[in-house]
Amino acid sequence: MAKKASKKDVAQLLKKWSQQFAVLAPSRESGVAAMAEWDGKDTSFLEWYRNTVVPPKASFLPPMEEMFRFHKDEEGYQIEPPSRNGQKQLVFGIRPCDARAMAILDMTFEDAYQDPYYLEKRKNAVLVGLGCTNPCQSCFCTSMGTSPTDPTDVDIMLIDIGDHFLIEEVTAKGKELLAKTGGLKEATKNDEAEAKKSRETAYNKVSRKLDTEGIKDKLLDSFDDEEFWSQTAAKCISCGICTLLCPTCYCFDINDEVVKGEGTRFRSWDSCGFPLYTKMPMENPRSEKWRRVRQKVCHKYEFYPMAFDVIACTGCGRCIRLCPVNWDITQVIESVPEKVKGAK
Amino acid sequence: MTQESKWEPKLLGFLCRWCSYAGADLAGTSRKKYPANIRIIKVPCSGRVDSLFILKALRLGFDGVLVSGCHPGDCHYQTGNYRARRRIAITKRFLEYLGVEPQRLQASWVSASEGGKFTEVVTDVTRGLKEVGPNQLFERRKDGAKAKAGSKGTARAKKG
Amino acid sequence: MEQKLRQEAKALLEQKRVDWIIGFTPGSLKFTTTPLITRDKADTERLVINPFITNNLANFLTEIKGRVGIVAKGCESRSIVSLIQDNKVAREDLVILAVPCPGIIDLAKIERLVGKDRDELDDVSRDGDKVSVKVDGKKKDFAAADVLFDHCLACELPTPQEYDIILGEPRPPAPDLKVSGQNIAELKALTPAERWASWENELSRCIRCYACRNVCPACFCQRCFVEETEPQWTLPMPQWQDNLIFQIIRNIHVAGRCTDCGECERVCPVNIPLRSLTREMYDTVDELFKFKSGMDKDALPLMAHYEQEEAEDFFK
Repeated sequence: MAKKASKKDVAQLLKKWSQQFAVLAPSRESGVAAMAEWDGKDTSFLEWYRNTVVPPKASFLPPMEEMFRFHKDEEGYQIEPPSRNGQKQLVFGIRPCDARAMAILDMTFEDAYQDPYYLEKRKNAVLVGLGCTNPCQSCFCTSMGTSPTDPTDVDIMLIDIGDHFLIEEVTAKGKELLAKTGGLKEATKNDEAEAKKSRETAYNKVSRKLDTEGIKDKLLDSFDDEEFWSQTAAKCISCGICTLLCPTCYCFDINDEVVKGEGTRFRSWDSCGFPLYTKMPMENPRSEKWRRVRQKVCHKYEFYPMAFDVIACTGCGRCIRLCPVNWDITQVIESVPEKVKGAK
Repeated sequence: MTQESKWEPKLLGFLCRWCSYAGADLAGTSRKKYPANIRIIKVPCSGRVDSLFILKALRLGFDGVLVSGCHPGDCHYQTGNYRARRRIAITKRFLEYLGVEPQRLQASWVSASEGGKFTEVVTDVTRGLKEVGPNQLFERRKDGAKAKAGSKGTARAKKG
Repeated sequence: MEQKLRQEAKALLEQKRVDWIIGFTPGSLKFTTTPLITRDKADTERLVINPFITNNLANFLTEIKGRVGIVAKGCESRSIVSLIQDNKVAREDLVILAVPCPGIIDLAKIERLVGKDRDELDDVSRDGDKVSVKVDGKKKDFAAADVLFDHCLACELPTPQEYDIILGEPRPPAPDLKVSGQNIAELKALTPAERWASWENELSRCIRCYACRNVCPACFCQRCFVEETEPQWTLPMPQWQDNLIFQIIRNIHVAGRCTDCGECERVCPVNIPLRSLTREMYDTVDELFKFKSGMDKDALPLMAHYEQEEAEDFFK
């Protein structure tokens, strides 16, 4: 059964959860909108928050993360595992698009290789979704199999119903937490109706549409269409904004920092948009810009569907909104040529 | 003994091989005393010194950097020291703007015959570094001690 | 102005005077434009000139082969001149279509003034020194000076000096350094330690997307020091120490090339006040060497020449 809480009581709710979890909530304290440790009182994000610039993946796959430390003594190199505190995170306010992105990232990180760094944080986390009431013009979630209020990928879902939130328990984890939380009112039939209306309104506000029908095959056919890709890539400046800040991009680089015999191995976000990404001793298979742009598009819309049967894009629109040159993925996907050129 | 009384500044000197390095040599052969705080890297010309060398030295924990070359007009390659002068001028100004103490980047003209001047310069620069103390510019802060001063981040927040 | 641009651009392609046209066309979001790089004369119909032509198109010149007709505001023209000084492009390969520029509207400033996201604005239009914003059905007027980019307020060359075709009445420069230099002035009022701490704080958000570098026409190196692996000058991971070194060296490398076009700060996704670095370097170069980047195509690049007598009071 759904519950409800007054918006004024959100701080109370978060305080309660803080006893058990490290609560993360939208914040602009660092100078950019991102999920950050909740300060224990401020819920003003409920006013300004549409979505974060830095996607919530940063709480699970941080921009830079210590993997282990090492040092050399008489017996050779010694490795000290990272200090995992095993702390439980509760991400409050994650948007359905970003929650879907987490589900997409899970596929990679728990595939053939189980990534302990990511999975431990993920396993210990509770995602509390917050339905959008005011999607951005760059959003196209409804075309990507989710919606502004889709509860599928979170543990607990909050839907705006005026001065209250309707609280839905989605997973067993969410149910358990809500049961423990206590003090929540039961939602009435009227509240449920309000939530339904709120959902529809939000859904209809998503104006950007993208038709992805048959895109996997179209991309396969256009793979060698250098003219198309060159044209598509012409205005790209090869920066890493669209990939690093994409909630479904997961590439990372590994570096050692050694200071006075003490070393630390880090992994940090990397981007297929950079020429260095594929640089090898003899050559670089993606030294040209169009090859890198093609890789980015195909990875999301062709290779990922091949591997996991899902497009690795959730329509969050960050890449469109933040792009320095307004390179728009929806326009690109729509312009992929229909015809099979020189089909074998 | 306390930490501070033990501390001696580490100075990295980039000396041009034609003038300043020979000047340092002369200081040595004429038994002139200068502080042992300087570690010397011989470069072909002061014009070889990239600002990146200076930053890297500070990043690695040197307390100061000294770039020294031939007097204007005396460059073995005609113009190297003039180019160095421009580069060091903007580097020094820029670092000071960012908040690096001026003492941490110093430059001098020392010719091959100026062993005496070399000892004076090194003594002077070392004294300056003792005044400003250890270089903690790039030290990793402990959690919670993260710098906050002067941040206009939230006021300027522009996207989302 | 727009009509004239379209005609001229079309004619340039038709007469085969250029292989490419680089200009602006409406973007896919409200109040945006996007670079249009085309050889197709039909595309010239999509060229626009409006208060949102933010990008510095000179950035594309170093990668395009052939002769180019390029739309240039004052700042772009300076970047182009700077590239000519550095022999990165040849003047004879360019047809510069000059746009006398009244300044570009900074949507972030409007967002702050009206308290709404750019998405939620119904209309933004400019008439002379007035910018009208329609939001929630209501019209609000602002002085242009309150909503233009800081670097536009400081602009010293609204109308290109170097051009082939001019598309409108030249505009005289009227730089206002008070508002546009406010952040730098505030920083300078701090102690050195506070300043350093402030930069540590700002740069700790950097994610190393390199948008600031890649959007910069002055950053044309094929290989950037920051990506060198042997020797590895800085680690390519986003820790503030390396981020700051990247920015310091980037600024030293573009000294005398940076024309204060403000693109680096505009594109930064994590709001690092990069112009407070670039503008300081711009002013330093001007003060020490009387050098204004991109003003004279026959001048030698800043770091490629010297005067016998110049700034050396800091030499021992």
